[in-house]
Amino acid sequence: MADIFPPLVTSQIDAKPKVDEKVDYSNLPCPVPYEELHREASMSLKADNFEGLRFDFGKGLNQKFSLTHSVMMGPTEVPSQSPDTTIKIPTAHYEFGANYFDPKLMLSGKVMTDGRLNARLKADFTDKLILKANAQLTGEPHMSHSVFNFDYMGKDYRAQLQLGNSALIGATYIQSVTPRLSLGGEVFWAGVPRKSGLGYAARYETDQMVASAQVASTGLVAMNYVQKISEKVSLATDFMYNYFSRDVVASVGYDYILRQSRVRGKIDFNGVTSALLEERLSMGLNFLLSAEVDHKKKDYKFGLGLLVG
Amino acid sequence: MAAKGPLKLKAKGRKGSKGSSSSSTSSSKYELFKDWTNWSLKKAKVATHYGFIPLIIVVGMKSDPKPHLFQLLSPV
Repeated sequence: MADIFPPLVTSQIDAKPKVDEKVDYSNLPCPVPYEELHREASMSLKADNFEGLRFDFGKGLNQKFSLTHSVMMGPTEVPSQSPDTTIKIPTAHYEFGANYFDPKLMLSGKVMTDGRLNARLKADFTDKLILKANAQLTGEPHMSHSVFNFDYMGKDYRAQLQLGNSALIGATYIQSVTPRLSLGGEVFWAGVPRKSGLGYAARYETDQMVASAQVASTGLVAMNYVQKISEKVSLATDFMYNYFSRDVVASVGYDYILRQSRVRGKIDFNGVTSALLEERLSMGLNFLLSAEVDHKKKDYKFGLGLLVG
Repeated sequence: MAAKGPLKLKAKGRKGSKGSSSSSTSSSKYELFKDWTNWSLKKAKVATHYGFIPLIIVVGMKSDPKPHLFQLLSPV
């Protein structure tokens, strides 16, 4: 958790109050990547709750190379006509994955029994230029997606160019304006539903809190605030509003990082409560319990998982 | 001189026809380019779909320290 909030080393070591410190505008820190703007809030509020049984076995052959075998048994949701009922179909699948981690190249691939491949690639061409690619490939025609991102990291800014498979082009830019505030913008053009969009974002962080906001021309307004109460506890709150469809979602969540376990929970103003517990039973053996209760739709999801290796 | 006249006309005629056919070839060149990129993207998609995981395995088995084939296949 310590690496999330960039330590303002000079102000912590000095006994002088922070007000006296002069801001060196030519030496600002590099901001977080644009897609990780809401990183701290997503950790508490968008934890991956699952339903059913999940068993993951990871075997490392090497420092850099490992294989994973996952078995998942549980209902998967199918979109239904009426928003009140959810149709669930029980499925079971096995997924084989291979990962290769190198400082300069990262390759990760997972393939399921029905032939779906989930592939990720991250290559550092130079110190500052990174290529990231992400693809979900299926056997069915026209159901595959792939996205390529070219990231350039400057001294106190980051720029990214994104190319997607159905004629999607996007670019984002984020710049540190003061040691604590960074501002960014994005623009994208999608070929298939012919639309283009523009967005702005801002992020303000200190040692104890992170606040960020994002506005997009697709109608999305998102604001969130995370307060770090202590080394072990942090609370987060989030507000999302779509001004075209007039949808509002607000949620409050917590994240407790304890010695042997981590509990994350949230409550939503749509009537959804969820919690996720990850407990380290021993070295290399993790136990997961997930629960999500949707009072409005009367949808109850409970999950159990075991991660080995 | 008289003989050159029809030659000139022929040349002009040829140029004229070439001009119109070059515009049609340039538009069809664009079509050919699009078709070629579609074909190559389809082949690239199939190659990635079948070959990505074997690629990772090959790259991983070559990295240091070289793991044994037995370690790849055994469940332990």
